[in-house]
Amino acid sequence: MTNELKLNQTVSVPQNKAPKKKKRIASLDKKKARAGWFFILPFLIGFVAVYLPIIFDSIKYSFSRIKIVSGEGFTIENVGFANYNEALFVNPDFVKTLVTGLKELAFDIPAIILFSLFMAVLLNQKMAGRAVFRAIFFIPVILSTGLMETINAANAVEEMMENESIADGTGESAAAQIVSAIDIEQLFSNMKVGTELVGYVVQMINDIYDIVNRSGVQMLIFLAGLQSISPAIYESCQMDGATGWETFWKITFPMISPMILVNAVYTIIDSFTTDSNTVMKFIANQYTATNGQEVSSAMAWMYFLIVILIVAIFAAIFSAFVFYQRKD
Amino acid sequence: MNAQESMAPKIKKETKNKIKVEFERTPLKERLKAKFINTAFIGNVVWYLFRFILLVGIAYIVLFPFYSKIAGSFMSKEDFVDVTVMLIPKHFSLDIYKFILLENNYFQAFGNTLLLAGSTALIQTFICCLIAYGLAKFKFKGAKLIFGAVILTMVVPHQTLQLSLFMHFRFFDVFGILGFLSGNASVGNVEWLNNILASINIFGDGGTSKLLQGLVADGGINLNNTFWPLIVLSLTGLAFKNGLYIFLLRQFFRGVPDELEESAYIDGSGTFRTFIQIILPLSIPMMITVFLFAFSWQWTDDFYTKLFFTTTKTVLMPDVVAIPKSLETNYAGQNLYYPAIRNTCGLLIMLPLIIMYLFCQKFLVQGIERSGLTAD
Repeated sequence: MTNELKLNQTVSVPQNKAPKKKKRIASLDKKKARAGWFFILPFLIGFVAVYLPIIFDSIKYSFSRIKIVSGEGFTIENVGFANYNEALFVNPDFVKTLVTGLKELAFDIPAIILFSLFMAVLLNQKMAGRAVFRAIFFIPVILSTGLMETINAANAVEEMMENESIADGTGESAAAQIVSAIDIEQLFSNMKVGTELVGYVVQMINDIYDIVNRSGVQMLIFLAGLQSISPAIYESCQMDGATGWETFWKITFPMISPMILVNAVYTIIDSFTTDSNTVMKFIANQYTATNGQEVSSAMAWMYFLIVILIVAIFAAIFSAFVFYQRKD
Repeated sequence: MNAQESMAPKIKKETKNKIKVEFERTPLKERLKAKFINTAFIGNVVWYLFRFILLVGIAYIVLFPFYSKIAGSFMSKEDFVDVTVMLIPKHFSLDIYKFILLENNYFQAFGNTLLLAGSTALIQTFICCLIAYGLAKFKFKGAKLIFGAVILTMVVPHQTLQLSLFMHFRFFDVFGILGFLSGNASVGNVEWLNNILASINIFGDGGTSKLLQGLVADGGINLNNTFWPLIVLSLTGLAFKNGLYIFLLRQFFRGVPDELEESAYIDGSGTFRTFIQIILPLSIPMMITVFLFAFSWQWTDDFYTKLFFTTTKTVLMPDVVAIPKSLETNYAGQNLYYPAIRNTCGLLIMLPLIIMYLFCQKFLVQGIERSGLTAD
């Protein structure tokens, strides 16, 4: 009897609970979703409890004056757009620095992207000593940040003074320069190409040290992207008799184009937030001036908005040309 | 008949396993000619040479500054005014090293920075793995929003937040809870409520703890000049470039096949245990990469250390960069001598990183290569 009853029940379970089963699946998904929230919990707490207040405060400070009252902490007085006004119209250098900084950005980004893509393609080829070259090229990622930049900047000032003092002499201390710019200009002037292009290339070669130093992470990202292209595609390309040049433009370039977008955005962000950036240096200097803390906050926010706008426009335009391989 | 026989290979020697045959070959000279003198081969050679020279040249650009710094660090004062001394020191001396190590608190700074960078890098690596795994493998509402927030933390330059970061950790408090508990909260001009709020104080007069005394007096804990600001930022995945780590790790975890976790779930493992026992061991090269980045960027950081460490009580790496008193000079070569001293400070700071890099660099490429980065 009991057995039969049980049997009946077990048999009838799937029919009766069919809608419930669906619910069960949903609840499993929910469980997984809950686990997801658990994993991102540290960030969520930090973002809400630490980061948002900091951002909010920073925006608030850019609209106010802070007075430190001895013994009582500080008072904040709302002054409206006075700080922005001062940054834009009173401060003689801010707008000028902003324009130069953005010009530098326009120069740097294509140079870094081109260079890192080129180097990644080279370092991806099989050759003797590849590991050694890779190790050398990634040194700057680790070593030329923060403190080293500060040291270089401090040295540059003194070395410039030294150069000025012996400029009429032998000029031996300019030996640090790798190639003389005049040589390159002569080389290119014979080639009958536009002067803008010549200027660009000359500047690129003169800044090569800077560019090499700043394209480490980009190189890594490109390398990773190149590694993920299936070798079968290259093989079939070779079978069809494509040359290396054609393979690069028809296969490598489209496949790597998402990485170009990622790298471009990363480079824009990275190069406008480094300490060696012209505008950043200017803002950091302002920090120590009278009322500078609030004015520099205002400047930093304006600069930030401009660059976000640039990133957004760039990403919107470029993402139209990006090729995504359809995944099955 | 005869001709055919002569064309057929002649057997010279035959054993059980081997057979030696003689047949007519094209002469060696012509074979070599066919192999080496054609456009494809020459093109290849030219390309190899070009590539090699290019790589060596760029390697030179990367390495030359290090060489000139090392050379400068062994020079004595006289070498800096001597025009004939370029890259090889004439008067070899270890003075610069000696005085930096003796007078700039190098070893103290080394210990402190090791503790700071080591702890924050470990925390950052683990926390970023957690967050990235959560974002990569779980589908829940708002995941995209959270990822957007991660990108936002990467995008907002830290200089923008300089002042508020300092203020936040000078008067550290979470939503005014600590202020409320210590009787420093106030609600506008409602006096009776303010009186009640002021009477709440679970900390008393703060006792012997300096932190608590500061809390009662200022309405916030002064965390500056301690490791806590950086540890709090690391624990919440907000420290320097953590957005980048989360991005890289997220891409890596997306490449890990779902079947691995599914089989673990079927075997009765929970999500967290699966993460610790299955996913983390898989991602060791990537984790080493992130650790390497986090450690060395914290090691050479001077923005956060200068911001949060306002007194000289805790000696950290940025404090090492100074001209030692015994080396101060009004000598003619000062403008070249001081940079050389600073460069030597830089070399001493970088030395542990270089050693670490030599051991870890193979993971750096490996980790990234295996990540199968895709941009979608």
